[in-house]
Amino acid sequence: MATRKKSLLKVIILGDSSVGKTSLMNQYVNKRFSNQYKATIGADFCTKEVVVNDRVVTMQIWDTAGQERFQSLGVAFYRGADCCVLVYDVTAPNSFKNLDSWRDEFLIQASPRDPEHFPFVVLGNKVDLDNRQVSTRRAQQWCQSKNDIPYYETSAKEGINVEMAFQTIAKNALEQEAEAEVINDFPDQIILNSQNNRPGNPDNCQC
Amino acid sequence: MEIQQTSPSLAVSDTNSTCEYLDAEGEPDPSDVDSNLYEEADHDQEADQQKHSIISALRDGLEPNASSTSAISPEPGKSKGLAASVESLALSTSTSAKTEDSSSSCAALDDDQHDYQHDSVWRGQKKHIFILSEAGKPIFSLHGNEDKLVTLFGVIQALVSFVQLGQDAITSIHAGGIKFAFMQRSSLILVAATRTNMSVQQLHLQLGDVYNQILSILTYSHMTKIFEKRKNFDLRRLLSGSERLFFNLLANDSSSARVSNNIFTFLTNSIRVFPLSTTVRSQITGAIQSNCSKIKNLVFAVLIANNKLIALVRMKKYSIHPADLRLIFNLVECSESFKSSENWSPICLPKFDMNGYLHAHVSYLADDCQACLLLLSVDRDAFFTLAEAKAKITEKLRRSHCLEAINEELQQPFNAKLYQQVLGIPELRHFLYKPKATAQLLCPMLRHPYKSLQELERLEAIYCGLLHRIHNSSRPLKLIYEVKEREVVLAWATGTYELYAVFEPVVDKATVIKYVDKLIKWIEKEYDVYFIRSHATF
Repeated sequence: MATRKKSLLKVIILGDSSVGKTSLMNQYVNKRFSNQYKATIGADFCTKEVVVNDRVVTMQIWDTAGQERFQSLGVAFYRGADCCVLVYDVTAPNSFKNLDSWRDEFLIQASPRDPEHFPFVVLGNKVDLDNRQVSTRRAQQWCQSKNDIPYYETSAKEGINVEMAFQTIAKNALEQEAEAEVINDFPDQIILNSQNNRPGNPDNCQC
Repeated sequence: MEIQQTSPSLAVSDTNSTCEYLDAEGEPDPSDVDSNLYEEADHDQEADQQKHSIISALRDGLEPNASSTSAISPEPGKSKGLAASVESLALSTSTSAKTEDSSSSCAALDDDQHDYQHDSVWRGQKKHIFILSEAGKPIFSLHGNEDKLVTLFGVIQALVSFVQLGQDAITSIHAGGIKFAFMQRSSLILVAATRTNMSVQQLHLQLGDVYNQILSILTYSHMTKIFEKRKNFDLRRLLSGSERLFFNLLANDSSSARVSNNIFTFLTNSIRVFPLSTTVRSQITGAIQSNCSKIKNLVFAVLIANNKLIALVRMKKYSIHPADLRLIFNLVECSESFKSSENWSPICLPKFDMNGYLHAHVSYLADDCQACLLLLSVDRDAFFTLAEAKAKITEKLRRSHCLEAINEELQQPFNAKLYQQVLGIPELRHFLYKPKATAQLLCPMLRHPYKSLQELERLEAIYCGLLHRIHNSSRPLKLIYEVKEREVVLAWATGTYELYAVFEPVVDKATVIKYVDKLIKWIEKEYDVYFIRSHATF
């Protein structure tokens, strides 16, 4: 047998437009930040390798567009995610209120097997700004009510908590993956003359 | 530090994307494509090198300096929803970065860090094949470590998902000189990208073979069950150790630096037959029949040598599809271990039954005869019965001098008679002959000038073009005669056979007709040596 491949985690970042999804990803992956705002169109893809519990894991990070007019990548886009990161802006109460609909939207579209325990992480971004409007307590309450979603307050600008948040994301996603029993049921024996192998008409093509 | 900008360089909408249907004639005309597609990109001076719009990411992946056009081709007749529902789409990728590692000087040597999307060798490949799960997780890449290409896989998944949203399916993208063919099967997305002359249909044929190879390892039922349970499943976990099967299957053309006729069997959806006199072949078939006819649940007995079929005996009412046989050839060709011992291996033949395994007793006839016998049963406990039958078959073949006959044919560096025939027409360089009645292909060994990779590639391109036009579903041709710069080519589809032939550039039409006539007459006379008319039953 060949060596076991590295684990690969699909991580989706969701949230209202201009809450800092792309900035968080850029801070995390490239250690860069810019004040200039440029809306993401469609989606961005980044990868980053992290070490979790002595295992090297490749994170495939899907940064999505927050603007509604770009919400057109389709149901399949969310499918098979290992973790979903919900981002809001602590200075924009509406972006916090919308977390509910982002979470619902994700669960509907991705339809994970066990929605109650699907690994989410909530990030309250822009804590470096003065005009904070959403209190930590309010955010924590919401997270608790949703099956104890881990909550971090971050600043993509100053790199506060970004590394730690993504480490948690990787860890939770990996735990979820590890739980999966390798499905090892051997297929049933072929029954000749059954529907699966009706003799006679294999595409009119035979050797 | 500035934030890296996403370049909104591709917009797909009903006004500025051209739709080319799979069945439509010919290739997209570059002039048809609105150049607006890339105008936006030019405006965005800040577009960062590390980020690409989706099409340019795909295109750049293959062609460093492509400066042209693209067209997305949805399946026929269903493109309205796609175009209307969406204002624009753009995706971008940025390349991988590793944790806590900002020194870049030594990073280039580190494979973990390798950035294929900016690697000219990787981008310069003639053909790429990518397999991913519906979730966008990488499963296989023909070139490069798929782990390092996850952003590209993300882009592919997003494209497929986006078109799916409009109740449609993407079949191909034409960008400059590169074709991208997409295929969605159960929970998998398969993509081929090529700059060769292969048509989208031909790429789909090859992707079909790749898909069948996956089913052959996992079965359809097992794979779908896994993805039903976990959409985020990493299928590589179940395919590790089998990578060689994919590489070998896909290596059968000039892109793999190997000069062989193998590519032509897949292009014509056929297999090749090991030439033997009718008496020897019927003795071999008889030996298999007499020793196997009483074994219950034995479905197929297949004897092959040198990638060609010697004999096939089948259960009544069942026949074997050439695609399934190619999987068997592939398995034998890249399993050296079969040579040293008897093997018992599960194998799913998807055209026969995609939901279950056949159990194959695989062994070479004898140390002194390198022909491989496969006895395929539905009974997973039949090993000893089949092993016993195999021993008897070998013994009988040895007594009847059939092993010698096989060896004689094997030891000739090439099929002598056929070679002489081609020598008898020195102007005939190469040909493909496929009877309508069977999926079997006859072609002479490659010789000058097609011994070099570069020339073989040209030959491959010639055949791809001819096959594409003869089999074009909207306007199939019956006869093509073409004087090209370096050869004269002929394609001829009759009620009983298809012939594709390549001549020296100097012959005239009358001579070509004379030679073709001669060749056909000879093939008809020797038909039973080079083809198997019908396969015996147990």
